[in-house]
Parts: sequence; C-alpha cells; structure tokens
Amino acid sequence: MGKLSVGIVGGGSFGLGLARACERVGNDVVIHSRRSAAVPRSERISATSELGDLASCDLIIVAVPSTHIRETARALGHHVDGRHLVVHVSRGLVGDELRTVSQILREETAVRRLGCLAGPLHARALIEGTPGGGIVGSSFTEVGDAVREAIAGPSMRIYQTDDVIGVELASALVGLLALALGYAQQLGFGPGALSVMMTRGMAEAARLGVSFGAEERTFSGMAGVGDLMSAAFGDERPEVKLGRALGRGATMEQAGREANATIEGVAIARRMQRHSARRALETPITDVLAEILDGQLAPGDALARLMARRVHRE
Amino acid sequence: MASPLTTVKRLLERPMRLPRMRAYVPQPDDPAIFWFNGEREDIVREIVRRLEARLGPPGSECKPPLEYVLNECANDEARRLHAQRDDETKQSLRFWRGIIKRVGKMSDADKRAMFHDICEKMAKDVAGNFDPRVYKFATRVVPHALTGLLKPSSVPRDLASIGSGRASPVDDLMTTEGDIDRLKRLGKIGTLVFVPTHLSNLDSVVLGYALMRDDLPPVVYGAGKNLFSNPIVSFFMHNLGAYRVDRRIRAQLYKDVLKTYSCVMIERGYHSLFFPGGTRSRSGMVERKLKLGLAGTAVEAFANNRVRGIDRPVFFVPTTINYALVLEAETLIEDWLKEAGKSRYIIEDDEFSQLDRWIAFLRKLGEVESPAVVRFADPIDPFGNPVDDEGRSIAPDGRTIDPGGYVSSRGKASVDARRDAAYTREMGQHLVKVYERETVLMGTQLVSHILFRRLVRDTPGVDLFGRLRHRGEITMPRGEVVRELGLAQERLRAMEGRNEVRLSQATRSLLPDELLDRVLAALSGYHRRTIVSRTDDGSVVLEDPTMLLYYQNRVIAYAERIADEGTLAAAREIARMGHA
Repeated sequence: MGKLSVGIVGGGSFGLGLARACERVGNDVVIHSRRSAAVPRSERISATSELGDLASCDLIIVAVPSTHIRETARALGHHVDGRHLVVHVSRGLVGDELRTVSQILREETAVRRLGCLAGPLHARALIEGTPGGGIVGSSFTEVGDAVREAIAGPSMRIYQTDDVIGVELASALVGLLALALGYAQQLGFGPGALSVMMTRGMAEAARLGVSFGAEERTFSGMAGVGDLMSAAFGDERPEVKLGRALGRGATMEQAGREANATIEGVAIARRMQRHSARRALETPITDVLAEILDGQLAPGDALARLMARRVHRE
Repeated sequence: MASPLTTVKRLLERPMRLPRMRAYVPQPDDPAIFWFNGEREDIVREIVRRLEARLGPPGSECKPPLEYVLNECANDEARRLHAQRDDETKQSLRFWRGIIKRVGKMSDADKRAMFHDICEKMAKDVAGNFDPRVYKFATRVVPHALTGLLKPSSVPRDLASIGSGRASPVDDLMTTEGDIDRLKRLGKIGTLVFVPTHLSNLDSVVLGYALMRDDLPPVVYGAGKNLFSNPIVSFFMHNLGAYRVDRRIRAQLYKDVLKTYSCVMIERGYHSLFFPGGTRSRSGMVERKLKLGLAGTAVEAFANNRVRGIDRPVFFVPTTINYALVLEAETLIEDWLKEAGKSRYIIEDDEFSQLDRWIAFLRKLGEVESPAVVRFADPIDPFGNPVDDEGRSIAPDGRTIDPGGYVSSRGKASVDARRDAAYTREMGQHLVKVYERETVLMGTQLVSHILFRRLVRDTPGVDLFGRLRHRGEITMPRGEVVRELGLAQERLRAMEGRNEVRLSQATRSLLPDELLDRVLAALSGYHRRTIVSRTDDGSVVLEDPTMLLYYQNRVIAYAERIADEGTLAAAREIARMGHA
C-alpha cells in the first residue's frame, strides 16, 4: 500500500498542530487556508488556498470551528467522493437540532468514511510533540487506522471506537463542562465541590448523549472523562479561561476576548436545555449553565441552586 | 404410523414443483430470475465453493478451527431438534449427534468432506425455484381470485374484464406510488434491491403483486419457513423465487449459507427483496432501528463484482407498505406489549395462518377506499447516494461520482467485511430517515392518534399499561375530534409539501367530518374487539386503547409537529414512546 497523503482544512492553531504531528512521523501534509501565505511551511508541510488541491489526499482532517462547518463542507463537497476518508476535530454541535459535524459532512459531501478525532488533544501539545493521546470515533476501522498512520507515534497514542456520535457529543459536552469548571474555580469551589460537579456533570453528559443515540461508556473513555481530566489538570484550554472570566463578572464579549478562541460550548447550552426539556431528561448543570450564559443567573446563585437539589441514588 | 391426513398435509408442505416436458428457454429481455432454474445447481455449487475457500487449502489451519465449526453447528442443531420433537427430529437428530461423537476423531479430509456435505444440504434447502408458468398463471389469475374473495358481487364484471385490458376490481384495493418507469429502466441497468417497511405477512404478497401489476421484474426474497406451512402460499412462494429461511436454526454456518446465497444472487443480477427490520413491526411504529441482515450482502456483492472488474450497479429501492387496517394487528400489538417479541419471534398462530381471518380481513378491505398503498421512494446506490435515470450516482453538489470509490482503498478495489458492515449500518440509518419521509399516513392511523392523544391528556402521570386499562372510560366529543383532526390534516398537508411525510388520498383531501365517519366505519367490523363506539350525541368512546395504540403508533414520529398548544404535552409524551 502506498504512502498516506494527508490534507488539513483550516490553518488555525489546531490545524497547524496536527500538521506538525503528521510531519513528525514522516507524512507529507497540505494545509488549506484562506490565508495560505501565512501558514508556516516546511519540507513536508505545504499550504494552498484551493480546496481542490486536497482532492488527491487519502485522509482529510477538517479543523474549522462548527460555526463555519456548513460552508466549508459544501465547498469541500465539490472535490471529494467515496474514495476519501474525512475526520474532523470540532467540539461544536450545529443549529437548533444540535446536529453533529459528521452529520453535516455527511449531508454536504459524498464521503461516507467519516470520523471525529477528540479526547485530550490540544494544539500546543501537538505542536511541541509532548506525550498525549486521543480517540477517533468512526464506524470505519480504516479511518482510525489512517489517523493512526498520520499522527500516531512514540509520543501519541490514538484509540478508536465506532461510537461516532458518542465521541462528538462527549467532546461538545466536555467543552461545556470545562467552561463550568473555570467558572466554578473562579467562584472559589474547593477540590471536593469541583469533583462533585465534574462527576455529576459527566453523568449528565452521558444521559444527554444516550438520548442522541450514543453509548454511555464512551463518556467514561478518552473523549469524555479523559478529556475533562485534561481540562481539570490545567491544559489551559480556552473554555476554562472563558468560564473564569465569566465568573469574575465579565460580559460574554470580554470573556471571549480573554479566551482568544471560538468557544463552541456557549452556543449549545441553551439548545441542549431545550432538548432535555423535550425528552424529559434531568440536566440540572446544563440548565444552570444555560441561565448563566444567558445572563439570567448571578454567579453566587448558581451554587445555591445546584446544592439545593434533592440528593438521590447515584 | 401417520394417518392419511397427516401424510397428505406433510406432502403439501413440501415445496411442490410442476413437472416439465420441455426445457424452458427464456427470452433475451426476461429478467435474470427467468434463468434461475438453469443456474440453480451452479449457484449451490458456488455457495459451497465460497464457504470452503474460507477454510484455506487442505492441511492448513483455519479460524475458527473446522472442528469447532462442525461441533458448534452439530450441537446447535441437536439442541433445536431435541426441543422440536417433530418429524424433522426423527429424520436428522441422529445425524447431528453422530457428528458430535465423531468429530474429534475425524481426519482433516473427513472434516472437510463433512463440511462440504452440510453446506450443500443447507444451500439446497435454502435455494428457491422459479417457474415462469406459475408466474404467468399468477399474473392472470390471482387478481380475479382475490376479487371473488373480496367482492363476490363484482365477479360477473370481473370475469368479463379478463383479456379486455380493463383493471380488475382488486386493483382498487391497492395504490402504487413512485417513479415506476425509472425503476423499470434501472432494473435493466443493474440489480434492484427492494427494502420495504414490514407490518404484515401480507407484505411480500402485496409487494409481489404490485411489482407484477406495474410490470416491474419479479424479485427473489427470503421467506420464513413457517410461511411455507400453508400449502397454497407455499406453492406460490416456492415457485415464484422465494428461498426458505428457517429462523429456528441458530447455527452460524446456516447464517453464512444464507448470506452467501443472497450475495451470489445479487452479484448475478437477481433483483431482490429484503425486509431490513428483520421482523414485522410489532408495535405498528415505522421502523427506527434496522438490522439490515441479508440486505447487507448487497454491498459485499457490489464490492465482489468491482474486484472482479464487473461494473454492475446495485440500486436500493426504499419502499413503504402502508395499510389502513393490518391483518395481524391484534396479535402483533399484544406481542409487543408482553415484551415477548423475542421469545415468540416466530409467531405461528396469528391471523395470517387463519383462513377465516383472511376472508374477514379482505372483505373489510373491500369496503375501505385504497386500503393499501405501496410507495417506492427514489432509488439510491448502496452508499445512500441518489442515482440519475442512467443509474449513475450523484453527489450532494450534483456531480456524477463513481460508487466504486467507496470500496477502494488508496485507489484499489477491495473486499473488506468490516468496512462493508459499516456501510450497511449507514444504509440502515439512511433508510430510517427515508421511511419517515415516505410513510403514507392513513386516516385510521391519524384518527387513532387523535383519540389516543386525548387518552394521554386525560390520564396524566399514568404509565402506558395503566392507560390501556381505561377501556371505554374516555369519551371525546365529536366536535373536538373533528377540530383536532382538521388541524392535524392541515399541518400534515404542509409537511407533505415540505416532503416530510406522505398522505393517503383520503387523509389529504377529505373534510375532517367525512374522514372521521369513514375511519370509524373502517375500524369496526374486521377486528374482533370493538375499538371505538359512538354515543347518541355522536361522541366517540375509546373502547380499546390497545388497538388505538397500535394504529396511532404509525404517527409517533410526527406527533409533536401536528399538535397545537393544548395537545403538545400529550404529543410529546407519545413521541417519547418512540425513543424508548
């Protein structure tokens, strides 16, 4: 079998980090970016502003925020077909129906061998090559194999599950919980309170995930607990920074500037709350977060609201 | 010694074939199935050859070991036959027990010979038959026979219609929707794989008749062995391309034989029919979880052909079969409620096996307008892409793409069981969406939903089983039924305009008053239980919530979208039943 050729859509920090990881294990990469001239190149990394240049790649990694995914997928759809393997790294869910990014890619392109790369991966670690790992959710084993071939090495472990929607939901909901974590830290929650909130938050995330067709166990794996632990251990992720800024009483705009990234969790809290109401699910942490993000709940009242709940069996 | 009656019954249950004096020579334009009898032996040989190829060359070790395969198969069969205690037990139990005893001492050559014999026996038992004479007979006579059964008063007119080209009265019973001409064209280019929803054992008969009437090619399909117990049904099924699937056999080897048979048939261009739900929908809901089962072999067949350089496209045709009344409704819903669906996977004593229920059912259908609608959705390739009139796959941006790309890895076509299983699961998810969109909602289902929704609204906090005990306790004033029905029709018409659902002619165009009267008449008469009754002032009494549940279950996916503010909470509760 020939050498794997990799294309990356998105020249942001995550896209560049993935390109470095590919380069580290000896793969050639083409990065598509609207500002291709600004992309740092090397012997193995090239850049283009033409999506069509990615058509000859075997594996394409989509590293754009979910807010732009619909138009990116549509544009990519002109150049890809059944031959391609496509993986995305987005933490977002799209629209009121909370569609996953792989669903959008499925709708807008003819690609079927799709997957989601998630878990405790972050841009800086990818760029620096510090040890870490991630998980690919895909129904197709060959997608996981291709990602492994593209970026796995002595310092990068890539696991696989066929629960695609589970990985996507876990990734999105961990983003939301990371935001809650930063917020709670800012309010002065101690380790005990933080642990309770994170544990119950993960259980809530799993409940929500199952209602979308995910498998519960995915939430206790790399894409769920693994990712959340990385945030709690201080991987400096933007969601935590945003949560801290909100906890200090900053406006959403100020907090966004401070975090310096597109935070996908902000948009999904309220939509998730509506979903849980429709399906009669108990999601107290999401409900509180939605109200905080909408500015309907003051920082001090959030803790009181959560602690006042009746305790029942785990 | 068996009584003469038992002997006759046993003989009738065997697949019967008509003797033939001269070999049949198919016409060049005939579908592949007209060649089937000439290819039958070769197909059986091919199945055995493929299964043997998995073992590797003589002397090599296979995974799982052959001894394990034979032992597992023999144990499964011995267990089944021991429990069955019938004629088959007498004939075959000793054979399987003998294998269990001897397999450990057999040489590799003996084990391979035994494997060959078992595969051949199973493949011969599965393989069907196709007799063009029976097909022609069925096309001419069955509609008129059904007419006699349904509308005896129409027989004189019907007899006069034979050969006149006029439609038989039985044609009033069934409407076909979809682009038939396109299907005919595609049937000449590639292999059609019909994948319908499954509500009733009548489905294969109804679909077979729809294909026949619209001049679409006949299909091969796997029919449960229990369906062969009725000698007349057995005769037609056996001679019209059905192959026998004995669901009681658990042995993996038998499942492999079935899969290989189905795969070989599709590879060779035999149009096929599979019910991807696996079994009839016990609840009456549109299927939301599909196993696909043998339909998955279509992807493998496509890949096998591509690896061999054969470019024969495969087209899936999602189909919904919709009834105003369902023959076996009472048994199916009871079965679902008992959650005994698994243990009673093969129901042998339902209405399908009772001739009097057939007659009552068909006569009742004769009184209902267009009681069955077969709707063929747009055909798709095995990877869920729409296809154009020439059978080319179309990407979402309108480009023509090569479906061969899906079964290639870095430019080379390959067969990969895990990949093909993933494509099959994808197809299942795609079909679920198509089914929801292409289900034709009937008046009986809509009215049942309006009434059941009232029951839910009036019994807050009560669980499903508690609600079903409210027999004859809830009454809904006629005016309210009509108002809610009218609103639901209006919403559904808008949804149909957005291609979110389909409506029967009556549901779409009748005034709610008239639709209600027709539905109430249709719901009384066939089923043994009284489903609804009317009070003197015209109010509707919910006599049997269980049957209302069955018919309204078809509407679950749309419940929230057709509710207004006052009924939304109940509709949501109903919608959640679909997610359980």
